Amino acid sequence: MTKYALLIFKNLLRSKRRTILTIISIAVSLFIFALLVSLPTFVNQVLADTSSSVRISCHTKMGWDYPLPEAYRVKVAATPHVVAVATAVFFGGIYHEASDQFPSIATDPETFADVFSDWGLSGVDQFKKIKTACLVAQGTMRRFNLHVGQQIQIRGTLFPVNLTLNIVGTVANAPSQDFLIFRSDYFEEAVGNPHIVDIFWVKVDDSRNLPQVAAALDRQFANSSSETRSESEAAFVGSIFARVGIFLKVAELIGLVVVVAIGLVAANTAAMSIRERRGEIAVMRSMGFPSRVIFLLLIAESLAIALIGGALGCSAAFGLLKVFSLNADILGPIVMLRIPPVVLGEAMVVAMLIGLLSACIPAYSASRRNIVETLRMID
Amino acid sequence: MLRPWSLENMKPTDDITKEELSAVTLSHVTRTYKRDEFDVRALDNISLSIPAKRFVAIMGPSGSGKTTLLNLVAGIDHATSGRVAVGGEEISTMNEREISAWRARHIGLVFQFYNLIPVLTAFENVELPLLLTNLNKSERKTHVEAALKAVGLADRMGHYPRQLSGGQEQRVAIARAIVTDPTIIVADEPTGDLDAKSAEEILNLLTELNQQFHKTIVMVTHDPRSERFVQIVYRLDKGIFVGAEQGGRYVEPVASLQPQE
Repeated sequence: MTKYALLIFKNLLRSKRRTILTIISIAVSLFIFALLVSLPTFVNQVLADTSSSVRISCHTKMGWDYPLPEAYRVKVAATPHVVAVATAVFFGGIYHEASDQFPSIATDPETFADVFSDWGLSGVDQFKKIKTACLVAQGTMRRFNLHVGQQIQIRGTLFPVNLTLNIVGTVANAPSQDFLIFRSDYFEEAVGNPHIVDIFWVKVDDSRNLPQVAAALDRQFANSSSETRSESEAAFVGSIFARVGIFLKVAELIGLVVVVAIGLVAANTAAMSIRERRGEIAVMRSMGFPSRVIFLLLIAESLAIALIGGALGCSAAFGLLKVFSLNADILGPIVMLRIPPVVLGEAMVVAMLIGLLSACIPAYSASRRNIVETLRMID
Repeated sequence: MLRPWSLENMKPTDDITKEELSAVTLSHVTRTYKRDEFDVRALDNISLSIPAKRFVAIMGPSGSGKTTLLNLVAGIDHATSGRVAVGGEEISTMNEREISAWRARHIGLVFQFYNLIPVLTAFENVELPLLLTNLNKSERKTHVEAALKAVGLADRMGHYPRQLSGGQEQRVAIARAIVTDPTIIVADEPTGDLDAKSAEEILNLLTELNQQFHKTIVMVTHDPRSERFVQIVYRLDKGIFVGAEQGGRYVEPVASLQPQE
């Protein structure tokens, strides 16, 4: 097939404008496809990553938007198989402009590092010593050009107070790269000791004990004024994503619709291009080019256009998210969108299918058209 | 398998083997087309024989079946009934794959409107039929250069068809037809789209290919001026073979021009 490469290449350049426009349209569709299909795929990956976690999220039955009494902590910590407990209260908060928002969470300085030991924390000692200390995820550090030792102010949104915080360390390996944690004692003092907790994060000694610990926790607080719902970290993350489940499905559907639409456009373009060359194809066949070779040459042209378009679209999607580190705020604090390699692979397979299917019928028909009839027509 | 060749190395020879006596043999060939609900009989029970290594013309008025006959000889059309044999091979029974391979090996086609691929240079156009062979790149180059040199276009190899005159384009088409060293060159109105001077040049070139290299050339033409270049003229009218003339002399019926039953 290499000896036909020049012929394929020259035919691609036959109508440069049409080839370029087709490549661009396929690139744009694959760009959209890669972005939209990344959302659910990335969610599934995050869920898979958290499946081995030994943490339990204990929050009210009504959902983690409603607080629990801080007093539950003692009972939670005393439950068999519980290794450590860290509280979490969502403070919200705005840094500078209204658009400069990221999750700010108040937590236990003493136990946070024990519960989240896999998150790559730095500055933990300072965090334990300084009341106004905070740890910032590395994505947020980059986003606002922050550095350790810097003092920042957070304006309250859920609570009507402003906090002055000192960055003492970072969080490197959390599933989300855009959040800030600060000390719960500072929070209590600032907002007037409400003694509330949104979530008790409970670390269990073994993942096999997760179900029984979760059940024990909920049993303890059954029939109380604030009944709890305890679930594994994977289930908790899943419940967050369930809130945007419809959006993810719609995104996936839009991605597919775009690809099908562009596939039809590519098919029309391929049909036009092949129709224009019926005479040349007839001449080549009269020279002895078998129908099979003609068919493969036409398919190869279409495939080349589709794969170039696919590669451009995937590179653009990957590069855009890489360079600008776009955060998927819509998905909450746990994830930051990036395109998984599997989606890039899927997008290239889709590009290949566009190339194959769009040219298949016109190429087959052109490669088998009656030579004499075609020559008579062009004469 | 293509025979390696070079026009410079080809030696004229008068040794015509028995097989080569008849380059083309048509026996009781009929070709009927369907046009809407009508059957059109383009060729009606034609039997004729074209000797090898001759430059012959098929002439007749429009609609006489000249091009149909040429298409059958070139293997790009099938007879409705009867037998067509070229170079000793019966082609009317070949399937699509066999006939494609046969055309690549034995037929060089020249069209009225040249039919060069516009995005390819003269060199690349001539190289096209060689892509079907096992020749490597440098061997293909040698063949293409020899063919273009033979038609007097060695200095136009890098030119695209749009950069050539009509006569030059037809020369490239002839180079494309001869580059595989085919058994027969079939030309459908090769001078039909050319001015008188270019037409004469093309006819001289075909004559030279026939006389120097003993190529069998079967040409369909309307042009009465072509008659003085060819050795035999076959005349058709309304799909019927009405006779042949050799050297301006009516020779039909002549045993040598009739197929051996």
